[in-house]
Amino acid sequence: MRKIFPPNELARDERFVRTKIEDRVFDPRNAAMMERDLGSAKLEPSRPAAADRARSLMHGIFVGEIQALEGAGRTCFDFDEDDAPFALKLDMARQCWDESRHVEISVKLGEWMGSEIGEFTESTFLYEAACADDPVLRLCGVNRALEGLAIDVFNAMKEFGDVAGDPVLEFCEDWMLADEVTHVKMGSDWLRRLTEKDPERRNRALEFQRTVDKIFSLGGFRGESDENPVHLARKFRRMAGFDEAEMDDLVEISKQAQADAEAMAAAAAEGGGAYGA
Amino acid sequence: MADPSTPRAPFAPWDRRELPGLFDVAESARRVGNYKWIEMRLFETLGGWVATIPELDVKMVLGRHCYHHAWHAELWHKRLPELREMNPDRLTQPANDEIVAFVDALREPEAPELTIEKLVGVYRVLAPRLVAAYTYHLNATSSITDAPTMRSLRFALQDEMDDWREGEMLLQSLIDTAEAVERAARRQAELETLMVRAGGVAGPGSLGITHDEEVAVG
Repeated sequence: MRKIFPPNELARDERFVRTKIEDRVFDPRNAAMMERDLGSAKLEPSRPAAADRARSLMHGIFVGEIQALEGAGRTCFDFDEDDAPFALKLDMARQCWDESRHVEISVKLGEWMGSEIGEFTESTFLYEAACADDPVLRLCGVNRALEGLAIDVFNAMKEFGDVAGDPVLEFCEDWMLADEVTHVKMGSDWLRRLTEKDPERRNRALEFQRTVDKIFSLGGFRGESDENPVHLARKFRRMAGFDEAEMDDLVEISKQAQADAEAMAAAAAEGGGAYGA
Repeated sequence: MADPSTPRAPFAPWDRRELPGLFDVAESARRVGNYKWIEMRLFETLGGWVATIPELDVKMVLGRHCYHHAWHAELWHKRLPELREMNPDRLTQPANDEIVAFVDALREPEAPELTIEKLVGVYRVLAPRLVAAYTYHLNATSSITDAPTMRSLRFALQDEMDDWREGEMLLQSLIDTAEAVERAARRQAELETLMVRAGGVAGPGSLGITHDEEVAVG
């Protein structure tokens, strides 16, 4: 078995359909969609098609959990102990079990919500963040950026379950949220320990995290305004080792990501886009 | 109520533990170091395979088992300093070159259509060998002086037995043609031959049999 397993070879059965994240974010039809005034974009039962959006988000969580499982597993395998200390690998193995449970929860929750495996597409951007050749970059890209997003998403879904009167959804998201705080904290702790005497490596890792955060903001999916379906879960992020400055920075990154996506979608629409002449 | 000043036997009548054991401190430590080494290689391999396996149920099971073996490695890592080995890395070693060759062969399959080969290596060759070596250690060592090792062995054995059974059931669900039977048998024979050359996960003597008593294989 090779070290560093390429994202395009992630093994799936025939139900799974793969797409590129940029095709979704820069879809030229998005410009027309943005012109609609539907009020707050926050995930709430009163919003049109809220159930479909929740199902789509749940499927996104499901495939994200599979890739998080795969990424943690690869970190166990890809590095020897000179690059990744024994204790770090033990943490990654623990994360494998946690992500494995999250996949189980997601499958059952998807069924509960009326969805099925393969109903929505999968893009591999999450796993791509787990392919860095430095374990510290992986911990920043996956544990701090991606699992940080998971904190925001699970908190949003938990609140949605609460206001929508779905105790099963609320119960499951709450449990997964607890694990995600642990994973993000793991990333924060290892970042500090592994880069204590190497500020350059720390900066490189944090820069990688910012890049991943921008991609994970999905053109305005996560932020703190009415236009963002998912809001920053500051309380839980604080527990996981984020400071206020980092979270403010993240809000700015999300705004930039949204502006970039809007500009790209508008340009694509003007030029006929992927579906035009 | 019994008079608290009345002398009682230091061991209750039902406590039949014995002082003698087959291992001294150094031998128990050597075996524990071998166990840690093989459990590490196993959890790394299972973690690495998760991305290469298309069957969702197998993928999730390997994610869970990956942690079980990591936890066993951690148990052995913590036990080593208690066995007078203050530098656990010194004894975290393969039993011999042959067990290294076995692990290299075990972790070789990568392609998505090789799930049977991957699972056979773990659940029909390595897992039974781990169960055997742990059981022998549990039965042979002093139940009083080496009790902390025995406690860890029991925890590990519980996982090994459960995981072995689960892996075997996955295999039975995947082996559904004559060709698949042949593939599984061939793979098992290849790896078993390597394991026999190694003498078990702790080398010759994994089951108490000495070099002289072993039969040459391959």
